[in-house]
Amino acid sequence: MITSTKRTALAAIVISTLAIGSAYASAFGTGGPPVWAGWLFAAGVTGALVGTLALGATRPDRGLGRLVGPFLLMTVIISAGFIAVFALPELGASEPLLLGLPRRAAIVLYGIGLLPTLVLPVAYALTFSDQTLRPEDLERVLATARAARETRALAEEGRP
Amino acid sequence: MISAAAWALIGDVKPAGALPHLASPTIVFVALLYFAGVVAISVWAARRTRTARDFFVAGHGIGLVALTVASVSTSVSGFAFIGGPGLLYTIGLGALYIVLPASITNVMGAWVLAKRMRLLGEVRGLMTVPDAIGARYRSPGAQGLAGVAMLIAIVGYMATNCLAMGYVINAIFGTGIVWGIWIGMGITLAYSVAGGILAGIYNDVFQGTLMALASALVFGYVLSVNGGMSGISHAIMPAFPTFLGPWGNITPIAALSFFFVFGMGSLGQPQGVHKYYMLKDPQQLKWYPLLKTLGLILVLLLFFGVGVGVKALVASGRMAPLTTPDAATPSFLLGFTPVVLAALVFSGVAAATMSAVNSFINIGAAVVTHDIPVALGRKVKNELYWGRISTLIIAIVAATVAQFSGSMVAFLGVFGWGLFGSTLVPALAFGLNWEGATRQGAIASMSTGLLVTLVFETLAWFKAYSFPAGVAVSGMSLVLSILVFFAVSWATRKSAAGQLDPDVRIVMEV
Repeated sequence: MITSTKRTALAAIVISTLAIGSAYASAFGTGGPPVWAGWLFAAGVTGALVGTLALGATRPDRGLGRLVGPFLLMTVIISAGFIAVFALPELGASEPLLLGLPRRAAIVLYGIGLLPTLVLPVAYALTFSDQTLRPEDLERVLATARAARETRALAEEGRP
Repeated sequence: MISAAAWALIGDVKPAGALPHLASPTIVFVALLYFAGVVAISVWAARRTRTARDFFVAGHGIGLVALTVASVSTSVSGFAFIGGPGLLYTIGLGALYIVLPASITNVMGAWVLAKRMRLLGEVRGLMTVPDAIGARYRSPGAQGLAGVAMLIAIVGYMATNCLAMGYVINAIFGTGIVWGIWIGMGITLAYSVAGGILAGIYNDVFQGTLMALASALVFGYVLSVNGGMSGISHAIMPAFPTFLGPWGNITPIAALSFFFVFGMGSLGQPQGVHKYYMLKDPQQLKWYPLLKTLGLILVLLLFFGVGVGVKALVASGRMAPLTTPDAATPSFLLGFTPVVLAALVFSGVAAATMSAVNSFINIGAAVVTHDIPVALGRKVKNELYWGRISTLIIAIVAATVAQFSGSMVAFLGVFGWGLFGSTLVPALAFGLNWEGATRQGAIASMSTGLLVTLVFETLAWFKAYSFPAGVAVSGMSLVLSILVFFAVSWATRKSAAGQLDPDVRIVMEV
């Protein structure tokens, strides 16, 4: 069953991949890629990653459940990080330091690189039992596995 | 290997430069101790390997902590300690985009693949990554195509790692690079043939633990020598103004290509994906992404610290500019840390390349003895025996390719990375999560990835045609294979429901 959440995630992956492809294509023109290509690539890679996360996390009967918040936060963190990196002026050696790094470098390392660690893996662990693998779902799969093993054993013995 | 892929992504394929000969009795002694540990673990693992399932997937019996540490270790290989710092030293912060997705990729792998592959393994008794593709699309042909693409990629991966192994062993023992390749391969073969993936996993645990410890200590020394992060920034910014810019010395498109290829492409790297089958209890997946991400951050401290720390030392005149980027870590360790720590890191790098080789030998042997026969409608009777024979043959082929390919080995590594991503990500990662995916879409997508990578990497290698700077063949082939996958699946959507077995559907729905 294709839920609306899954459909949205699939659409996000396709549109984002097209955006990345367009950014690549723009580099083939004379004079190299235009400025907007970087913005388009950043938007595309953010959409592709978040879309893939949502595709894997959504469930037929409950969509993204409690994961909607973390996923939105994730999208905001990465998007805001890239927007800041593109939009902030380049000040060269006079760039102020943030946690020991030039401001834009700090946004890349701490914002885009490290901050998601505090959101996604923690959200995964905290929602695991109700969103990723419920005990009753596991039992259903294990029952299917037992039945499959018995069928295979019978087939190997030549019995119907 | 990742280092080779990274150089190619910025349009500058460089063969690895030889490391300086370390010529230290302490380093040789620690390396010998290290290898003795590897042998001891391998003997123990060999005694526990009795069936093909033990050999290829560790009998589905690995615990959470062991799997996490082994997975971290396989993910980074020797790249984190040698190639990565060298790349960062050269291109600046742009190199960070290779590792930045790590905070997302582990949890993405867990949501998209881990649970489904582990449960498919439970239901169908699967052992290989192409097995999952075959089961998903009820198609031995798709399984065989995935296996062939993987085998081609594996030869590239292994040849690159074999050469790296030769460089490191030569640097420690002064054996010469060719002897280094064969000595390293001999040790790796001994434990691969005897103990299969079990030996690989527990050797990964051993060396991953030491790598994390060594990485944290080296990072501490980097900060101490340079006066903290602020000291590093203040030294670098006047001398190399773009180095600590958000893209380093490369273009935004090139840096973002790293982010895309190493982010999305991670879902198609079999050395990581294959390990999902091995977890003893699926419920243990709960903490796997968090633990693996934290472990990776710890191990990657050296990558970041040495890359920027050495640049700061050069900028402040305390170290001469490097003659080859790969000398960044050896130069820092030999000049600014105790020799025992340097010895630990060098031994760790040697063991890391061996562990990567072991992992790929095992995956390649499974393709030869299992996936390709399945695609041809045959079944190998004694998979454990033939698994060991295939292991031997693949190892000899890869070491021979590494010895004779010269600078082409970098090309093979790039080729391998691109192939894994473009052939496996759409068919496996999207296919296991979307009931509308079809066999035709999967086969068309894998064929596209194979063809685009093969044609354009070869043209680039022979300098007949290259994409513009910043446009990576691996990125472009991944984009095209994803789009072809969705387009062909949509065009053949009427056949989708009929290609999904009931048990596979259950696994996809939970």
